[in-house]
Amino acid sequence: MKTNPTVGGLEKISLKNADESALIEILEQMEHEHGFIPRDTADEIARLIEVKLERLKRIQGKLDSTTHQEIKHHVDHWRNEEGNLIMILHAIQNQHGYVPREVAMELSRELGVKLARIYEVITFYHYFKLQPPGEHAVTVCNGTACYLKGANRLIDELRIQLGVSEGQTTPDRQVHFDTVRCIGCCGLAPTMVIDGKTCGHVKSSDIAGHLATIKTVKETAA
Amino acid sequence: MKTLTRQDLSALANHQASSPAEWVRVQLDTGGIAAGAESVCTTLEHARVEQKRSFSLLRVGSVGYSFADPVIEVQSTGLPKILYGKMTPELVPALLSEQFDAGRLLEDHVIATRTRSLTIDAPVTHILVRDTSADTANKTEFFQFSFQEELKRRGLDSRVQVVRALDMGIYDEGAVVQLLPSAVTYTNVLAPDVARIVDESVEADRVIEDLLWKTPDKQTRIVLRHCGQVDPDSVDDYLQRADGYQAFAKSLFELTPEKVLAEMKTSALRGRGGAGFPTWMKWKLTRDQPAEQRYVICNADEGDPGAFMDRSVLESDPHAVLEGMMIAAYTMGASQGYFYIRAEYPRAIERVQRAIDQNRELGLLGQNILGSGFDFDAKIRLGAGAFVCGEETALIASIEGKRGTPSPRPPYPSVRGLWGLPTAINNVETLAIIPAILLKGGAWYASHGTETSKGTKVFAVTGKVRNAQLVEVPMGTTLREIVYEVCGGVLDGKEVKAVQTGGPSGGVIPEELLNTHISYESLQELGSIMGSGGMLVMDQGDSMIDVARFYLRFCVDESCGKCAPCRIGGYQLMQILDRISRGNGKAEDLPLVQRICHAMQKASLCGLGQTAPNPVISTIRYFGEEYQAYIEGGPSYARKVKRAAADAAASTAPSKAPVSP
Repeated sequence: MKTNPTVGGLEKISLKNADESALIEILEQMEHEHGFIPRDTADEIARLIEVKLERLKRIQGKLDSTTHQEIKHHVDHWRNEEGNLIMILHAIQNQHGYVPREVAMELSRELGVKLARIYEVITFYHYFKLQPPGEHAVTVCNGTACYLKGANRLIDELRIQLGVSEGQTTPDRQVHFDTVRCIGCCGLAPTMVIDGKTCGHVKSSDIAGHLATIKTVKETAA
Repeated sequence: MKTLTRQDLSALANHQASSPAEWVRVQLDTGGIAAGAESVCTTLEHARVEQKRSFSLLRVGSVGYSFADPVIEVQSTGLPKILYGKMTPELVPALLSEQFDAGRLLEDHVIATRTRSLTIDAPVTHILVRDTSADTANKTEFFQFSFQEELKRRGLDSRVQVVRALDMGIYDEGAVVQLLPSAVTYTNVLAPDVARIVDESVEADRVIEDLLWKTPDKQTRIVLRHCGQVDPDSVDDYLQRADGYQAFAKSLFELTPEKVLAEMKTSALRGRGGAGFPTWMKWKLTRDQPAEQRYVICNADEGDPGAFMDRSVLESDPHAVLEGMMIAAYTMGASQGYFYIRAEYPRAIERVQRAIDQNRELGLLGQNILGSGFDFDAKIRLGAGAFVCGEETALIASIEGKRGTPSPRPPYPSVRGLWGLPTAINNVETLAIIPAILLKGGAWYASHGTETSKGTKVFAVTGKVRNAQLVEVPMGTTLREIVYEVCGGVLDGKEVKAVQTGGPSGGVIPEELLNTHISYESLQELGSIMGSGGMLVMDQGDSMIDVARFYLRFCVDESCGKCAPCRIGGYQLMQILDRISRGNGKAEDLPLVQRICHAMQKASLCGLGQTAPNPVISTIRYFGEEYQAYIEGGPSYARKVKRAAADAAASTAPSKAPVSP
């Protein structure tokens, strides 16, 4: 899963009044790392480094053409297949961690499908997300086996520890907390998935430890 | 890779694959990997290279023992195959030096084989012991010590090793002893028997009749026949060691589609997705529909929470499912197949995709397969987290790239399915059985099971059960046998309150009806359904209203909203049940619930809405007094129950040591 571009790397940008080529370099690096730069990030960068938004948008226009290329790549890959929309959305979500509005609009142009049709599908399926996920994902399995073995207690504990409820991201955009129907590891119930790693037989007393691990990973990375 | 020909396949049929003398198989499925099988595998690989050992390391799927993940199987010279459960990387050096150098087994990790031999045909080299009594005093070590002393006294201790086992597959039968390599098993062994066993069985190779466990294992593995045996990532392994694609070749060259249908009819195989429609009839209806193009779809959208049979089969034996699909396609004259797999199962997707790619390279998929003139190709379509897409018309809409809303039937998909063309949709399990039926014959398959429900069924037994695992039993086995004899009963020695089958669409079956023989009809009579095979065990501490609310909430969340009975009825039921569980229920609530349930069952568009009330109806039917208690007790009663449950959870949670089976 891709990390959220609105968080990663922004603190690195401290230079003010940077010249255009340096700026492009930074943005390209960010795009290389995260795959995509949403508009609100662009706004935030503009605020941070005190450049005029128009100037930034002009630069981003160049980058948008790469987004365009990517979409075209996905669409070309699936063009001859009937019923390709869901598969393309899967490819986009795998790349960005969610379906950004800009990408959906670009997809609508490229595929010749109305934007409403695309959103109709995105909003129907639980798997597709419209909001960028947090830096880390903590997911509690709420399948029947896990439910019986106390998934609710894990959810309550996480609510307290993180201060957000299921489906939400912490205000610092660090942790996205969610529940999932069943991950198919019922033998290990109750389970939770932290950044793609499944932990089995979790007790509510373990949760603080697991959350601390996420934070130390972040600190060592920084 | 070279293209495979008909001659290659028939050569493989008569060819006895030579497997390496020494190997270690690591069971890498999602459950195993979550428990740390990857790191066990890497440690093994490092140790193998460093210590220049000759065993081959194989990556296979899961045999189904989820309770013991990660599981590995070891074959070393002079010893039978040994399954080890709960492996850790730290155990690897000990395993290698003990098992490969000294011919000794690891303590506390061996899972005894389920084959139970009745004769000792080779001198005993190892004795597995485990005390399976329900009481807490664990006498395993006592028995181990007695055996060791007895052997020492006779100077046999260098020849025979006594090992504490992790699991014997037999429960509540006192001390259980298994003699290896013959796998003769003794139960209810008492202290005086130790000397007898050493005397008779170890020294004289004679079986002691009064201790012998003769009951054969309840399980029959047909669907899971290759799980944990073959490498799911290698078509070569499947071809060489699992009679791979022999059934497909047989149907292409020796049988006509009519003969395949006849064989399927003899087998009386019914759809394993839950509804139990005869598979041969579904194929025949699709085949008889005049059309240029037909489709076959494998429904692997296993959305039922608490069920993981399909995931396990796809991850452990993807080629068998693909072969089943190819046979189905040939029989119906379909030229295109789709796997509709949940996006939440990345490993299953990866392994099926690899199987498809390998077959394309070998020429088993594509144009003019094996020179027979039959064209077929398969593709994967991903689900996106909508439970309703397990319903066939919704599934078709989803493959077409639309919202997964169901449409009224008829017309059935066999008449107007994908893109308006005849389509047959089969469950993963159904397709995985088909190669076995064609190789061994429909009559062989029909010899398992009951009058109306033939063959075997895979269940994922989870919840408050001692050994959560995949179980494959012949139809007609009782629920009690599955829960107590195969899975070892309830955790912490509690009593079963009820068993829930069929997931959100099924119902609960109370303890007193556990002697029911499983078949599509018998479960339906009890107000439940066979379903895809989720089986959830609940103990006395579980509130039935809670369980009903859990499933109902699931169905309300998953309702697509197209038809009113499901959308509105489900929500209203939810409100009433919430009210009752808070103690604010009224006397007239229960009849009202019944009426709403009835309306949903009769008027909903698809299976989701029609079956959503099942958990509610069956809990009211069998545990009505719980509902009454809430209604009569009022808010104070509800608070009391809630507090008691929280206290019980708090008192068991910290003291819960790693549960040993």
